[in-house]
Amino acid sequence: MVDNNSNPSRMYWLHRRGLLKGTAAAVLLAGGLPQWVMAQDAAAEIAPATPLAELPREAQLILGWSMSSPIGVTNPWAVPGYTHQEGNAFMWEPLMYFSIFKDEYLPWLAESMEYTTDDFTSLQIKINPAAKWSDGVQVTSKDVVFTFMGQLNNEKLPYHAAFVQFMDSATAVDDLTVDVKFKIPAPRFKFEVLCLKFDTGIPIVPAHALEGAEDVNAVAGGVEMPHSGPYDLVAWNATQKIFNLREDWWAVAAGVATMPDVKRVVIVNLGGQVGQNMDTVAQRLVNNEMDSALDMRSSVIGNILAQNDKITTHTGNASPYGYLDWWPNSLWMNTQAAPYDDVRVRKAMALSINRDLIDEILYEGAKISTIYPFPLYPGLQAFVDSDAVKAVEAAQNPRNYDTDASAALMTEAGFAMNGDGLWEKDGATVNATIHGFEGIHSDIVPILVEMLLATGFDASINFGTDAYQNMADGAPGLYMFGHGASLKDPYAALELFHGRFSEAIGTSAGNNRFSRYKNPEYDALLDAMAPLASDDPVFLENAAKALEVYWRDQIDIPIIQWLHRIAYNQTYWTNWPTAENPALGTNGAFWAHTGLPVVIALKAAG
Amino acid sequence: MTLRLIFRRILFLLLVIWSASTIVFFIPRMSDTNPIRERFAELARTGGFSPADLEKIIASYTEQFGLDAPLMSQYWDYLGNIATLDFGVSLNKYPTTVLQVITQAIPWTLTLLLVTTILSFIIGNLLGALSAWPRAPRWVRTVATPFVLLTGVPPVIMGVLLLFFIGFRLKLLPLGGAYSIGIVPDWSSVSFWLDLLKHQVLPALSLILGSVGGWVLSMRGMGVTIQGEDYVNFAEHKGLTGGRIFRDYYLRNTLLPQVTGLALALGTVVTSAIVVEGLFGLPGIGTALNNAIRANDFPVIYGIVLFITAAVATLMVAMEFVYPLLDPRIREQ
Repeated sequence: MVDNNSNPSRMYWLHRRGLLKGTAAAVLLAGGLPQWVMAQDAAAEIAPATPLAELPREAQLILGWSMSSPIGVTNPWAVPGYTHQEGNAFMWEPLMYFSIFKDEYLPWLAESMEYTTDDFTSLQIKINPAAKWSDGVQVTSKDVVFTFMGQLNNEKLPYHAAFVQFMDSATAVDDLTVDVKFKIPAPRFKFEVLCLKFDTGIPIVPAHALEGAEDVNAVAGGVEMPHSGPYDLVAWNATQKIFNLREDWWAVAAGVATMPDVKRVVIVNLGGQVGQNMDTVAQRLVNNEMDSALDMRSSVIGNILAQNDKITTHTGNASPYGYLDWWPNSLWMNTQAAPYDDVRVRKAMALSINRDLIDEILYEGAKISTIYPFPLYPGLQAFVDSDAVKAVEAAQNPRNYDTDASAALMTEAGFAMNGDGLWEKDGATVNATIHGFEGIHSDIVPILVEMLLATGFDASINFGTDAYQNMADGAPGLYMFGHGASLKDPYAALELFHGRFSEAIGTSAGNNRFSRYKNPEYDALLDAMAPLASDDPVFLENAAKALEVYWRDQIDIPIIQWLHRIAYNQTYWTNWPTAENPALGTNGAFWAHTGLPVVIALKAAG
Repeated sequence: MTLRLIFRRILFLLLVIWSASTIVFFIPRMSDTNPIRERFAELARTGGFSPADLEKIIASYTEQFGLDAPLMSQYWDYLGNIATLDFGVSLNKYPTTVLQVITQAIPWTLTLLLVTTILSFIIGNLLGALSAWPRAPRWVRTVATPFVLLTGVPPVIMGVLLLFFIGFRLKLLPLGGAYSIGIVPDWSSVSFWLDLLKHQVLPALSLILGSVGGWVLSMRGMGVTIQGEDYVNFAEHKGLTGGRIFRDYYLRNTLLPQVTGLALALGTVVTSAIVVEGLFGLPGIGTALNNAIRANDFPVIYGIVLFITAAVATLMVAMEFVYPLLDPRIREQ
């Protein structure tokens, strides 16, 4: 036993009282840490110079999303870094929006946008004379030409390839008129590129803000960059992003829109990745903390509706609780690699899928499973209802579920059932590992795995971070992925399988090009469709034939239409876009390019 | 404690940091995943990149980030950079630097971890020591029992339970977030601090409730073994007050193994915090690491793991320096 009071070691450079004091100091320091460190790094967040005016909850729209983009990046040309999905879409506007559920264009910065030749090689754009940037400068043809030429010349921009492929020139005829000349007929350029819908299309950027920049891709934008949309970014940190309504928004005076009821939009960072922590998100929606959030899996949305009668969905309180997204999912595979290069194996797997059972298990009987590589929006519904497509469908029977026929095809292809109940040939089973994404596929993929296993395919799940890489590399297995392509006519979806996108084994396949399919007969049909308008009889005839090849060759196995099951909380806001009340007719995803039409159509509930 | 010993400990610390940094450099590289491709693929899924652009852009940025250089060349560059605290630029949040990601996130985690660790250590050890102390009132054991029962409940399960009952059902505390929605942080405002505190209660409780019991049990066990020791009997016969005996003869002699346990617990607490932050939507280092792993954001993974390793290793070395204060025998040696 040593008495500290008499021990010389009390001179030790640390003392136990010092330890206690240190502990207390550490606790105090811990309490003060956020302030201290944030003060060091104030530039890492955007904070208003003066405190934000207090607004009642009834004037604020609160949306939940997982934010991951770099703080301060609001410039649509900042690559990489910019995303429209975290509220930036409220700042930027297109020439036109497309209202998918009304199947009509919504003129915005442009009053009109018309092809001026029958062969779709020239387009004239008339800009709304009232359109203004947030700094008061008028939106003119110079901005439109600058935007188009930027896409043409800057290979980092998202639509560079489309502009290179089609556009020859863009000329400002006067302050409000732009003439666009195309190298080849471009009947879908106006819709696919110049209109914002879902996650595609381009917004117009201000020439006067970017033309002096040495590298436009490196301009963050921040709060200073002039924009034409009605909401100004006022705060942004790791937990949230806040936009305030700008009362002098040009569209009100121009009669394009009414003054939005939503005075402030707050995007709450849910943390993690999109699709994570959904139980907590659901609880926060039920408790009215949020007005809407990212789309829910089927198991969650029903519970939300049951616990808060003010919450509704696109289909009200009835299944399937959502609207069709533009991303119908298939089981893709590398059609160049064995055994998937044998159409009999592909067909045998397709025959193992019981789509009725999928509808019953996941969608309470709603018809969500699909046989098409495109979503059935009005234009596409008309196409599949046509006599030509009905005849092809009757002949190919792509929805057929027939395990005996599946077994017969596998036997014909040289496979035999082994002792484990799996098809085997030359000592190898059919690798049917399904590569997918846990956050969005955790409900459907296990069901597919069971169906494939039950019919002898060696199925399992891979939700690892290498899933996308495997798809791009053409790895063995099946790829659960969508076709982000067609919205109005089937061309864009069918074009995904054109031979010019068929990369050889050993090279990387691009997004949506995983099948690596090559067939000159199919390519000829697509080439004939390309220069034609979607209502041209020759276009429709060839489209039906191409769809027949898609089914005949089982290029991929269509599984489900993709649903966005978004909860709309009507405690504070009404007039969300639903099947009964489409509002402006755009889809209800606030994170999409058409998030702005959704927000400005909302009405205060009180 | 000699300078030589201090030098050896610091050398050991540097060795630990180097080993950790080497491991975190090579392990992600063993994956075939191309982080640039993953990032742009995500953008392509949502932003309309055409495939031709995608491949060209991926090649361009792979070169820009030096990911096409030979592995060892990348490694030497990496070591040189971290020596100057330059962890590079986040691939996922380009052009944000890794240091910015860490400095934005670390205050939230440190606040939560430091407070919860110290509180659970103090509460658990006091309760444990009092439970074994014959002169302690009976209610102490009553209070300690629920903590013991909760021992081993993972913080994430505790968090879910607290969220459901206290946040969702009773609506007593917020369901998540660092502070109330729509509030812009004003560090000079008392009401903001109170709001902040309110949001930290459930995450802190989910970390504390499951860990206090462990301290109670171990401290109580040690307290029981000390009861018959000669020096305790001697102190009692000497006529010292109960408080003095408890503090100087009883508590102090049981504390040393607990301090070792505290150092070892720090690593576990960090991993728990990663999960708890995700659950409560706190923008801390755990959330940042989780996002970085899922996005294959190598530079951020390197930076954060290295930071955590260095922090835990430094704390463990610091604990060694604290031992002599608690046990004079070590000081004598």
